Amino acid sequence: MKDIWTSIRRTPYQSLSAFLILFFTLFLTLILFVSLTFLYGSLNYLETKPQVTVYFQNKTPENNIFKVREELMNSGKVSNIKYTNKNEAFNIYKQDNKDNPLLLEMVSADILPPSLDIYAKKPIYLPEIAEYLKKQGDIDEVQYEKDTIDKLLVLTNTIRISALIFFSYLILMSIVVLTTMILFKIALKESEITLLRLIGATNFYIRKPYILESLFLGFTASLLSFGIFSSIVLYFHSFLQSYLKGITALSIDVFNYSLVIWPLNYIFFAIVFISISLFGAIISSVASYIATNKYLKV
Amino acid sequence: MITFDKVTKKFPLGNTALNDVSFEIDDNQFVFLVGQSGAGKTTILKMITQEIIPSSGSIIVDDFDVTDKNFSQIIDLRRKIGIIFQDFKVLVDKNIFENVAVSLKVIGADQSEIKTEVKKALELVGLSKKEFVFPIQLSAGELQRVAIARAIIGDRDIIIADEPTGNLDPKTSWDIMKIFKKLEGKKTIIIATHNTDIVNSFQKRVLVLKEGKIVKDQRKGGYEL
Repeated sequence: MKDIWTSIRRTPYQSLSAFLILFFTLFLTLILFVSLTFLYGSLNYLETKPQVTVYFQNKTPENNIFKVREELMNSGKVSNIKYTNKNEAFNIYKQDNKDNPLLLEMVSADILPPSLDIYAKKPIYLPEIAEYLKKQGDIDEVQYEKDTIDKLLVLTNTIRISALIFFSYLILMSIVVLTTMILFKIALKESEITLLRLIGATNFYIRKPYILESLFLGFTASLLSFGIFSSIVLYFHSFLQSYLKGITALSIDVFNYSLVIWPLNYIFFAIVFISISLFGAIISSVASYIATNKYLKV
Repeated sequence: MITFDKVTKKFPLGNTALNDVSFEIDDNQFVFLVGQSGAGKTTILKMITQEIIPSSGSIIVDDFDVTDKNFSQIIDLRRKIGIIFQDFKVLVDKNIFENVAVSLKVIGADQSEIKTEVKKALELVGLSKKEFVFPIQLSAGELQRVAIARAIIGDRDIIIADEPTGNLDPKTSWDIMKIFKKLEGKKTIIIATHNTDIVNSFQKRVLVLKEGKIVKDQRKGGYEL
């Protein structure tokens, strides 16, 4: 630690530049990472809602409805189908309008249609399922969240691709700038490195101080990025709560583990912090490795 | 033992630094390499540490074949050799203790060993009272003593010195040579120099180089320019 601090003190401007570029990269990475996480969480959430609801005509025999259900289940494109008969529909209606007796008086089970709530395995199957249903007899109406899911899919894909390009640029820029900064530092110590090589130092011994300093800067930059980002998120927490009102939980699947991202929780914050610290460590290690490699040909 | 067998070094631009050079240096022998500038003295020293690889011939240093281009034990070899340079090569941002200790740190010695050995080496070169002084506060002669202390520490069997008195006044040069005298018989010492007074007074083995060839090898020799 003393050696790291001495090295930073002796070349303060190079160290500050390295720190700032790392901070810039890690902070933007953090914003993109969490935004993508929330978008994927929202997509997962929408996929848990009935994506296609088909209302049958009032007099449709249940057998016909079951036949449609069976054909859909056999198509391999549907993960689940929930059947709601007239009586169940009426119960739901009563529950939804329990505070409005006038509406309850006007409606009876006879006028409510039976329906199927269909959950597709993938959002891309939705148009196909809707088209199939429209061609069936006895159908009164087919509703599906095509626009919402389509928009979210397009948005997620666009952000993912843009983020990938932006990430690659950020990583490249950070590594190039960091490598240059470390090369400046090494140039000041070139005679020391030559001496160390001649007295039998291993490559790791020569590299170690530069790698440790880079790791220190990477970790400090991660810590600051995480601190600022967390403060922003917590500051806007009440806004997020009102914006996501009605959504009880958002989660994403990470290696078969369902990570809850909303409501905000310690596990999510811990994973974000570990990820960003690792990312910072990898960038800084790669840069110091490239920079020191130039001087280590025995 | 160091063995050079028909060693030739031709640089890419065509100049020949060494031409068919053969000699042997026994363990703990004291040898002067003498000759005018460009005679090949530094090339020989750099070949012993494998900074330069010969174009042909073989060099064996304590069972290490240093002419092997894929030589993977170069670190082990260099840990057996202490090097003293004309320009001292001390680390300006480290104090004298740290400058000497670096020789032991690179081989992974523990702190107590470093402390004991550095104190011993500094005592030998007469700098025991200056261990926490920085190089900028020392004279040229004292800096060369630091370099010698760094070279002899840590069981380094071979000491090679490239013009160790080249930047020093005559009195300081003699003081430095007295330190080498103390090491005589304990380590193999190879000193490249063109200081005739020193070579003649020591009466040790002298290899005289001229235009990349050994023209004289005297067991107790002198030297004339």
